Amino acid sequence: MKRLFRSSAAVLSVGYVVFGVAALVLFAVPLWYAWQRTVEQGRAEILSADAQRLTEVFRRTGAEGLKSFIDERVGLQIPGERILLVTDAEFRPIAGNLPTWPREVPPEAGTYTIKMTLEGRPTRAVFVHARLEGGYNVLVGRDTARYAPVEQDFWYGLAGAVAVLAIVGVLGGFLIRRMLMLRIQGIQETVAAIMQGRLGHRLETSRSGDELDTLSQTINGMLEQIEHLINGVRNVSNSIAHDLRTPLAELRSRLEELSLTRPAPGETFAEIDAALADVDRVIAIFNALLRLAQIDSGMRRSGFVPLDAAKVAADAVEFYLPAAELKGVSLIYRGNGPAPTSGDPVLLAQAVSNLIDNALKYVPPGGTVSVNAHRAEGDAIEIAVSDNGPGVADSEKPKLVERFYRGDASRGTPGVGLGLSVVDAVAKLHGGFLKLADNHPGLSARLVVMATGPHLT
Amino acid sequence: MKLLLVEDNERVTRFVTKGLHEAGHSVDHAGNGRDGLFMAASEPYDVIIMDRMLPGQIDGLGIIEALRRSGNRTPILILSALSDVDERIRGLRAGGDDYLTKPFAFGELLARLDALGRRGQDAKGASDRTLEVDNLRMDLLSRKVQRGPRTIVLQPREFKLLEYLMRHADQVVTRTMLLENVWEYHFDPQTNVVDVHVSKLRQKIDVAPERPLLRTVRNAGYMITSHD
Repeated sequence: MKRLFRSSAAVLSVGYVVFGVAALVLFAVPLWYAWQRTVEQGRAEILSADAQRLTEVFRRTGAEGLKSFIDERVGLQIPGERILLVTDAEFRPIAGNLPTWPREVPPEAGTYTIKMTLEGRPTRAVFVHARLEGGYNVLVGRDTARYAPVEQDFWYGLAGAVAVLAIVGVLGGFLIRRMLMLRIQGIQETVAAIMQGRLGHRLETSRSGDELDTLSQTINGMLEQIEHLINGVRNVSNSIAHDLRTPLAELRSRLEELSLTRPAPGETFAEIDAALADVDRVIAIFNALLRLAQIDSGMRRSGFVPLDAAKVAADAVEFYLPAAELKGVSLIYRGNGPAPTSGDPVLLAQAVSNLIDNALKYVPPGGTVSVNAHRAEGDAIEIAVSDNGPGVADSEKPKLVERFYRGDASRGTPGVGLGLSVVDAVAKLHGGFLKLADNHPGLSARLVVMATGPHLT
Repeated sequence: MKLLLVEDNERVTRFVTKGLHEAGHSVDHAGNGRDGLFMAASEPYDVIIMDRMLPGQIDGLGIIEALRRSGNRTPILILSALSDVDERIRGLRAGGDDYLTKPFAFGELLARLDALGRRGQDAKGASDRTLEVDNLRMDLLSRKVQRGPRTIVLQPREFKLLEYLMRHADQVVTRTMLLENVWEYHFDPQTNVVDVHVSKLRQKIDVAPERPLLRTVRNAGYMITSHD
């Protein structure tokens, strides 16, 4: 029982039943009161008019005339329609359909509603008592029991409505509770599975779009994000394990060899410088990984400001121009006007730089790298870095974005293999994506960001 | 310069202190936050080097905020393992003047300390309208650069690069400092683009047989100087 009352469905249905009954009662009581008043008032008015007429008859024809008039009327009317009685000053009946003056009716003239026994059954009656000259009394009345069946029907109807309301309410509440429990149980089971580490589980959604469905979809979105973050962390720790180990191993063997062989000072210092370079490489990888993890977690959204993506791209082109010239590659900016958006200026600059850096690395001397920033469809801003270098095989394109993946062509070139991963992460942070496409010949990297600001993935 | 190092790690302390002594600076050291705040508040220093995470009730940012509240304007370089951009911004907002993340190269630290010390001196004098190194002359108002009688035409970014180098004449300026101050790039580009910019600038200002002014300092960065 206690459990039932803890269920929100039970509380809700009981609440609705109580509310419904209260509404019915609020509706019925004034109605009842109005009915009573109207009927009784109307009755009293009719009876008063009747009494007036009898008084008039008495005034014109005297007591005998009234007696015969009443006798005639009593003979004509349906039994129980009208109570008529004329008495003398001592309340002895002269004419009418009552055997005696009812004890309940007071001797003074007036209108009365009285509970009484009439012909052996309890009832309510309305009386108008008029006094005539010479002490005669006229009593005109009406038995209200005639309306009792109507009133009874009214009460039966009301009781029936309350009963139906209560049954439907309780039954409905029970059904809703059962249905809710079933669905919540499904959610609980899924969540329990997730808590045990099976992160791939998702809540069932029925696409009905009801409240629970919306909630399930939201929770699924949250799970998606959590899984994404956890995978990110896992990736980073895997990457650290794999890719920091190599330079650390190199560093260790270099130092060990130094310690064992103790070469001449000149050679020693050269080795130490090389060891420092190794350490710097480890630090660079470490920083890149940390930065990636930070971008992935979405923490950097706090750094979003309004900015012009075209200017970011143009600045990056200007920054790389001397390096391109040195290599004999023409680096061209082809923007047309500003491309306002909101984003993290540092990260966007880094992303564009990485793309240009990559392109310059792979394009042979005499090649061309063109950078273009413009508004794409909708609120999207596209920064495209296209080259006419060797390009990338279709099968290799998705792998390029993976962490530490280095294309076949890149073996022997400097870099830690995180450049495009950073670009991809930056694009996602800005609600966009990185797409690598063929430039016929060469590679075209399109960085798309949304102008409307931060987006949840 | 007279420097204060607030740092709890002994190894880092020994390494930094030794290096700074060799560079001709005198260094006081505080091993915890309380001593650090006391020394920083009671003695005049040219630059304070401040670790962030310190024992002794008050951390680096707390010390900086306390100093700034009491009107102490000594340049402060924050030296911290907290490397997030957000952490960096927090450090600078608290009143730090520069932020260097651990692990760091000593050359980088030294160059930044020199720049900060110079900034402190600059603040005392009026800002110059012209910068001069030997016979290289930069007019900041008309944006004209001359080497002796020869007029040098520079792109806007080259002008900014040379201005930064000349403002820090006779000091080593690292690649990171140039990236941050000339291009406002707070990340490390994968290739040495800065070197290319500098060598392009060098081709414009040092034309044989003129005396070379823009030098490369091995394992550190660049320096513009008239001394040999």
